[in-house]
Amino acid sequence: MSKYFIPLIILFIFLIAVFKKIKLYDTFTNGAKSAVPYIVGIFPFLVSIFILTELFEKSGLSDLIADLFSPVFNFFGIPKELTKLVLIKPFSGSGSLAMLSEIFKEYGVDAYISRCACVIYGSSETVFYIASVYFVSGKKHKLTLPIIISLTATFFSCVFACFICKIL
Amino acid sequence: MNVIFGTIIIISIITLILKNPDTVLSAMLQGGENALSLSMKLVVIYAVWLGIFEVLDKTKLTDKISRVLYKPNRLLFGELPEKANGYMSINIISNIFGMSGATTPFGIKSILELEKHKNTEYAIAMFFVVNATSIQLISTSVIALRISYNSIAPTSVILPTILATAVSTITGILLVKVFIKREKYV
Repeated sequence: MSKYFIPLIILFIFLIAVFKKIKLYDTFTNGAKSAVPYIVGIFPFLVSIFILTELFEKSGLSDLIADLFSPVFNFFGIPKELTKLVLIKPFSGSGSLAMLSEIFKEYGVDAYISRCACVIYGSSETVFYIASVYFVSGKKHKLTLPIIISLTATFFSCVFACFICKIL
Repeated sequence: MNVIFGTIIIISIITLILKNPDTVLSAMLQGGENALSLSMKLVVIYAVWLGIFEVLDKTKLTDKISRVLYKPNRLLFGELPEKANGYMSINIISNIFGMSGATTPFGIKSILELEKHKNTEYAIAMFFVVNATSIQLISTSVIALRISYNSIAPTSVILPTILATAVSTITGILLVKVFIKREKYV
């Protein structure tokens, strides 16, 4: 059912455009053109955040912090196998997706740990990535508090995820 | 952002120098390479979605969407400039339905538009938190990955994910309401 959703929306938009006598080719090309300046704009931020993620991983700092945090996380019901996923997700979407498939391989895709990991992955966002990419203009914003709020909310949902996966 | 970036990067580099100094530069270059390959993917995704949304914009359907979302938006973000309301509406709709290619460009557009006005710090903070706590209902990449690992119930995680998403977003919204002051934009 859901696989028809996006294609149908696209078809619907194009049909209305044709019906309203909009120049489809010109308009579409015009929109597509603006993709390039966006990428050029966010590229430096992407580079910085990816270098950060790479160093964080390679230095073993992420493992160290994972070990450090895992008793605390455990206390709130987050299994120690998932501490690293919870910590990496705010930095990198692709990194945590790779971690998700590692977890599937190790514990089996339908195990509690794996289902929990799916819910944690699906219900959280790449907080630091958004914080760096959305604010390309370089204007100063007080983002510290919003970042802390987002991370706190994410932690809540992770705790909730591990709890709900036990029942559902 | 500067504090977080600085702290993590300096501690990481110190640990790497102690363990294996060769890897410092190679890790940084690897990071850059990852950023480039992601950019290559993103530019295509953005081109497709921005093309579609340009067409959508010309059909005047975006005006309808932003009018429908005007009231809920006002409740959440406070009074908004008209243009910003439009961009934010598209960002939120595409977020919910997991059209991630459209969320980032319209997220950037929204912030740039909000920055043109004064006293929009609350709206910006709320908009950031809503985006950063995930409002996507179904994560297609997770389902696809579960299917590729031959799960017996690939969609079993959908309901818990929606519930957990609700928990994070509602918590985020409440915290912003408590800790950040709302002012009228100028």
